[in-house]
Amino acid sequence: MPREIITLQVGQCGNQIGMEFWKQLCLEHGISKAGILEDFATQGGDRKDVFFYQADDEHYIPRALLLDLEPRVINSIQNSEYRNLYNHENVFVADHGGGAGNNWASGYHQGEQVEEDIMDMIDREADGSDSLEGFVLCHSIAGGTGSGMGSYLLEALNDRYSKKLVQTYSVFPNQMETSDVVVQPYNSLLTLKRLTLNADCVVVLDNTALNRIAVDRLHIPNPTFAQTNSLVSTVMSASTTTLRYPGYMNNDLVGLVASLIPTPRCHFLMTGYTPLTVERQANAIRKTTVLDVMRRLLQAKNIMVSSYARTKDASQAKYISILNIIQGEVDPTQVHKSLQRIRERKLANFIEWGPASIQVALSRKSPYVQTAHRVSGLMLASHTSIRHLFSKCISQYEKLRKKQAFLDNYRKFPMFADNDLSEFDESREIVQNLVDEYKACESADYIKWGMEDRSKAMTGEGNATGSLDSRAPLL
Amino acid sequence: MEGDVVADLVKQLVKRILPSQANVSEKSSSNGDHRDTVGERAYQYAMRIIGSRIAPSLASDEVAMAEAIKRQLVLEGRSSDALTFADLHRRFASLSGPGSVENRWAVLYLLRAVSEDQRREGVETRGTATPFTSTLSGPAALGGLQALPKSAEHPKLQVPHSDSPSPSPSPKNSLRNGGIRPSKSQSASSDHGHQGGVLILSKDADNVKSVAIREFVEISQVDLEVTEAALVRDVVYACQGIDGRYVKFDKEQDGYVVDSNVKVPKATRVLVRRLCEVGWLFRRVRNHISESLEDGPLEAIGTVGQAFCAALQEELGDYYRLMAVLETQVYHPIPFMSGGVANNGGNYLSLRRLSVWLAEPLTRMRLMAVLVDDCKTLRGGAMAGAIHMHLQHGDPLVRSFLKRLMRRVCAPIYEMIRRWVLEGEVDDLYGEFFVVAQPVKAEALWRQGYQLQTSMLPSFIPEPLAKRILRTGKSINFLRVCCEDQGWARAAAAAVATVRASANGGGGLGYGETEALESLVVEAAGRIDRHLIQIVYNRYKFRDQCLAIKRYLLLGQGDFIQYLMDLVGPELSLPANTLSAFKLSGTLESAIRASNAQYDDSDILDRLRVKMMPHSDGDRGWDVFSLQYDARDPLTTVFTEDVMARYLRIFNFLWRLKRVEHALSATWQTMKPNCLVARLSAIKGDGVKSELTVVLRRCQTLRNEMNHFVTNLQYYIMFEVLEFSWANFLEEMEVAHDLDELIAAHEKYLGSIVEKALLGERSQLLCKTLFSLFDLILRFRGLADRLFENAREMDARSQNPTKQRAKKDFHIATLSGRKSSMSSLSGDFLATIGEEMDGVAVEYSSLLEGFIAQLPAQQHVDLKFLSFRLDFSEFYTRQHMSMSTTPLKFKRTPLKL
Repeated sequence: MPREIITLQVGQCGNQIGMEFWKQLCLEHGISKAGILEDFATQGGDRKDVFFYQADDEHYIPRALLLDLEPRVINSIQNSEYRNLYNHENVFVADHGGGAGNNWASGYHQGEQVEEDIMDMIDREADGSDSLEGFVLCHSIAGGTGSGMGSYLLEALNDRYSKKLVQTYSVFPNQMETSDVVVQPYNSLLTLKRLTLNADCVVVLDNTALNRIAVDRLHIPNPTFAQTNSLVSTVMSASTTTLRYPGYMNNDLVGLVASLIPTPRCHFLMTGYTPLTVERQANAIRKTTVLDVMRRLLQAKNIMVSSYARTKDASQAKYISILNIIQGEVDPTQVHKSLQRIRERKLANFIEWGPASIQVALSRKSPYVQTAHRVSGLMLASHTSIRHLFSKCISQYEKLRKKQAFLDNYRKFPMFADNDLSEFDESREIVQNLVDEYKACESADYIKWGMEDRSKAMTGEGNATGSLDSRAPLL
Repeated sequence: MEGDVVADLVKQLVKRILPSQANVSEKSSSNGDHRDTVGERAYQYAMRIIGSRIAPSLASDEVAMAEAIKRQLVLEGRSSDALTFADLHRRFASLSGPGSVENRWAVLYLLRAVSEDQRREGVETRGTATPFTSTLSGPAALGGLQALPKSAEHPKLQVPHSDSPSPSPSPKNSLRNGGIRPSKSQSASSDHGHQGGVLILSKDADNVKSVAIREFVEISQVDLEVTEAALVRDVVYACQGIDGRYVKFDKEQDGYVVDSNVKVPKATRVLVRRLCEVGWLFRRVRNHISESLEDGPLEAIGTVGQAFCAALQEELGDYYRLMAVLETQVYHPIPFMSGGVANNGGNYLSLRRLSVWLAEPLTRMRLMAVLVDDCKTLRGGAMAGAIHMHLQHGDPLVRSFLKRLMRRVCAPIYEMIRRWVLEGEVDDLYGEFFVVAQPVKAEALWRQGYQLQTSMLPSFIPEPLAKRILRTGKSINFLRVCCEDQGWARAAAAAVATVRASANGGGGLGYGETEALESLVVEAAGRIDRHLIQIVYNRYKFRDQCLAIKRYLLLGQGDFIQYLMDLVGPELSLPANTLSAFKLSGTLESAIRASNAQYDDSDILDRLRVKMMPHSDGDRGWDVFSLQYDARDPLTTVFTEDVMARYLRIFNFLWRLKRVEHALSATWQTMKPNCLVARLSAIKGDGVKSELTVVLRRCQTLRNEMNHFVTNLQYYIMFEVLEFSWANFLEEMEVAHDLDELIAAHEKYLGSIVEKALLGERSQLLCKTLFSLFDLILRFRGLADRLFENAREMDARSQNPTKQRAKKDFHIATLSGRKSSMSSLSGDFLATIGEEMDGVAVEYSSLLEGFIAQLPAQQHVDLKFLSFRLDFSEFYTRQHMSMSTTPLKFKRTPLKL
């Protein structure tokens, strides 16, 4: 009963960050590229069976499904040193291999069509687990496969495994540069709806912020995907350390997430990590104490989500919850001191409608991975400022939608057939509602928000419908 | 030639003075001599005095003497005589030439003395002895040599004699003569000065003196009924505890006394009594020894007592030797004249000599007697201690004597210590050792098996050392009995070797070598303790056991606990009496196999058991279930039943906390974001929905609040209680040198956990509040479950008719379907649930308020961190502030439904 977690890597981005994640896990658990436990990996205490299972021949096999509609990335994985790590039955590449063409609708539709194949794979994995805890989905929300098929999978999982936890690591597109995916605002919005409704916990990985961090913090002028992906894998592996190194607390994903997400809708988490290195790049060693780490984690520049908030809004933004996972040699008594210092300096603003605090989980560090710093920390936080990211998504969507641009690509698929764009509208409404709820969280009266705020929400809805209506004749 | 002249002159003088009194004086001496007449003896006496060199202290000043005579005459009112004397003296002095008197001063002095004697004679009726008042310097002034006849004859003449240098002036004699004698030792014939020539008879002037003394002694004895020799003999006997002829033990006076019928001078009596004190003491000591060694039961005396007696015996041996020597001397007659001296070289005994002889034995005997008295009722170490108390004595004699004695008395004790420290044996048949063994079971051996018996602890062994000694032997026994280890022997041998090698070690142990003892004990203790600690650490894996306890009983192995909770949870909801311990053990087994615990040492896992506590009616499984760790034998010394009971309490507390956390986590899962119910709010609509939203949100925020409390309490328990105490414990474990320190460290560790986890005596109230909070949270869980179950049911019911996947209809269909379900849901159910939720919320608030308010009152533990954590965002502070104006009831916005 190891509370297994099955990882679904969907699309190009999903598979890339997934691969990085498994690389990292293998390193940390002392598992070779072929899935064999290394000779030196004798220091027990780690739980490999949450993410791996053992084949008959003692191979450790990731509980991972590699799903894509085009073969490029998966082929590269299968030609890499890690080809023997994965269970080949768990690899799905669409027969035609044509991909989703960066079209959410295409991905969604294809997902629907291959649902059976994929669900078979998922069922097989789930049956192989004693007490399945849940699923982790890695994808990007901008492209076609990750967003579209990912969305479909979310819904499907929700139907079939409604009691299981679904966590996603969702990569948000870089909004600072013009993307080659012009329809990315459509894709993002449609995916966001599923993330809002069908996921339990979304770890937001904002490519904009990842790039910024790579450039500013790591001094890499033109960060590659591989480099930003290694940041992602660092975050992913760090966020699962408490599951993999059992201690007093936070030994299961549910417990971890439950204390981070007090109200179900506000389940989008920001991350921060310090000290950062890319691809074991030897950074200048900094002093790392618990206080240093915890303080840096609260600094915006280390957060992997861009803040689009204006100053006024930013000052209103509040933490709903914070969990710091500190790894390394930590004297537990330092935690208290650090917390005191943080409170004295008022480094974190918390919601007013309920108690909140910085939770600190101490976790062991893998004995097999050498790092230059004694202490490293990951922050998982629910912060109301994330609503600006969604607002940005909405506004970009509206820009595009106003122009009625590229909608034809979508109309080709059943969901949008017959010029039925209500899915867009509904998604927009739901995302807007999410934004509103986050905004409401900033006020002390959040508890009453559902009732009085209805009118406000209605106006938002009204606006949306209004705009929709106004646009309708143009179609 | 000259001698003859003098002798002749003296003879004439005697004849003249003592013509008729011879008979009278003859009578007084009982053993009067057959042949000597009084005259003869007087003559002899005079001759001896002439020969002696006793010098007067008077200055030979003729003028002064003449003046004195004149003054004397004047005083007597005979001024004319004085004038006549002055005239005569002038003429006497002016005479010169042959035939004139040269020693005019002496003549004058003689005349004066004679006249004074005559005057006194007038006063005193007694004429028994002719008073000799004279000076002796005459012969010296004449340049002649004094001498006495060398005859060995001892004329027994009762001559009044004073101030003799004899050791014991017979009181009788001095009394008789005291009044007569003016001052000086004067005994010379008055007229020999006239003779001008003196006979030299003696070669040795000292001898002369001693002869005179002896003679005196002889004389002084004359009127005793018993001779001194007889008394001396008796005293010597008495000193050996034997009654003599005259000196007998008198019970009434409790001492040896001269028989009251025997006529002896009082002084002699006192003297004898004093001398016989030795005998009296001797009797005591000897009685003690014989009583102890022969009559008394061995248990009552013990080896130390025996050693003591033996030591006394030895001391008595010396004494006996002395007695033997004295006894030989007793038979040497007490010599009187020089002849005697020549014969036996002075080896004779008198009472006086005896008192010198006995002076030192007396102190020793006295000391022994005191010790005997002191130790009569004491045994073993106490006895040694009592003797030691006497050692603080300034007299070096006493000190050395006692040291010698103590060395022997303590030998058994030191042997016991040696055996105890090096072999762990209580070599103590008679209960004399200060370590007492008690027959106990192996697990209690360390704590109760051996005790320090302070009454048997000699005062020269300081308490800390004694404790160290106790522990060392205890360690050996512990190793031998509980650990079945033999390695300690090597450690002990090494310790001995080291001590031998070191300078102060020397050889065996003995009294007075406290340093040697200490170094041996320290060395042995160090090594054996180290060995023991190593055994405890390495063979019995103390650290691992502690860690195992921490991981399993203190829930450190989170995954294991989680599975156990998952597996056992449903079971535990059943009534306690329906539970099968067997089944639960099986569950435990599967939890171990499922978690990382499976990689643990199987030895450790074997010790993990399910324990069902005694239950009463109505108890649920939760109330009685607990885990137990079987520490097994040697380590039960640390993990005693009491200790394990405390662990059990901590386990129960943590288990309960975990259960609450688990419940909240489960509640979250029922309303987790992607659940249908949670999605309901996504659909905009009517008032029912919004009411539901509100109820749900209340439920969620309440859960969040509870979760916040439970999580932070857990963080507190983890960081501040368990890990903190553990870190300290590890540190102390590192420096613990012996099992006692280890036990103490563990005690401290456990105690700190109990106190800080609010399980201590002083936190009872707080703990009670805490437990009511837990109960409330569990109640909340049931409520939330009901709410969501109902909501889901409604949802499912509403969805059934519209299960088709046509996207177009889906939206509308579900919406309408839900609408209808909403209305049914909206009825009484939402209202009651909402009310109940409110009730729980209010109760929770007040309980938590109380809990937080009580925190600062816990003076004995630092709960700052807990309250700090609980109110990190100052939510409760704000709440409290606003509450101070509004009553608690209205603090929360009641749901208006």
